[in-house]
Amino acid sequence: MATFTLNAEKRERAGKGAARATRRAGRVPAVVYGDNKEPIMISVVPLELKKLIQTGGFFSHLVEINVDGKGHRVIARDIQLDPVTDRPIHVDFMRVSKGHTIAVNIPLHFINELAAPGIKRGGVLNAVRHEVELNVDPDNIPEFIEIDLTGLDINDSVHISNVKLPAGSAPTITDRDFTIATIAAPSGMKAEAAQEGEEEGGEE
Amino acid sequence: MLSPKRTKFRKAHKGRIHGKAKGGYTLNFGSFGLKATSPERVTARQIESARRAITRHMKRAGRVWIRIFPDVPVSQKPAEVRQGKGKGAPEYWACRVKPGRIMFEIDGVSREVAKRAFELADAKLPVSTKFVTRFGEED
Repeated sequence: MATFTLNAEKRERAGKGAARATRRAGRVPAVVYGDNKEPIMISVVPLELKKLIQTGGFFSHLVEINVDGKGHRVIARDIQLDPVTDRPIHVDFMRVSKGHTIAVNIPLHFINELAAPGIKRGGVLNAVRHEVELNVDPDNIPEFIEIDLTGLDINDSVHISNVKLPAGSAPTITDRDFTIATIAAPSGMKAEAAQEGEEEGGEE
Repeated sequence: MLSPKRTKFRKAHKGRIHGKAKGGYTLNFGSFGLKATSPERVTARQIESARRAITRHMKRAGRVWIRIFPDVPVSQKPAEVRQGKGKGAPEYWACRVKPGRIMFEIDGVSREVAKRAFELADAKLPVSTKFVTRFGEED
């Protein structure tokens, strides 16, 4: 797993007035916290941030942030976006220390869709989750998890117990075998089934 | 067409649409969405018309989610009636849409199909819109 790098400058003042001033100056306010150290307020260049976001896996890659010459090993935890323009307003970074596991949302990739008879017959892949939260070692965060759809028919589903997770990772939800995806019947097929049901009911 | 099953009051004030969406501005169900970028009252007919345009273009494949609901009764006075004598009768239902609101979501189709379907839906709506994808993917 590659580590991203990001250059940042320290911010002195906290609060919305200062944060807005940072945005007016053309930068994005952010914060680095965690690892039992004092949080530091920083600001980053929007273009650099946008590049990282568009690389994909923004929340599942370690980031090396250089703040005034000092490096911080962090992971992005949250990003606030403008509701209309989708431009970043603020970013949260959490320090990552060695020897600790962290909970990270890992994206899911659905493969072999054409090998699923349900999808061939017109069924729709209904992704209940597009990502799954795993407890992982920060140095070995998986890029993505592949979900194999081979052999799935309409109304079949994939649960977390059916998925082969990378070594050293475990789902944070342990109390139930949660669903990841189902193959739903197409709307046309549902309508036909409902019609048949009505006809049968009418005959009785 | 969408409409509430029952309401507490038959008629509502006209109201104004201020500010940006405070919720419903991220994709929650599908992979592609249609986001409003201007404020406007969207009627139940317009929502239904846009939904039909989307499903027709998708040839009934994939899935569509409607993220707005028309819950504001809009009243009108009959033609050639003088002013006064009370508020008119409820005529249709509308939804107040703020900029940033995701109105429709799609999944199970390719990006090109989704984009064209939303272009067709956009033509049926009174708001300006933009095509959005999941976080981290380029629009």
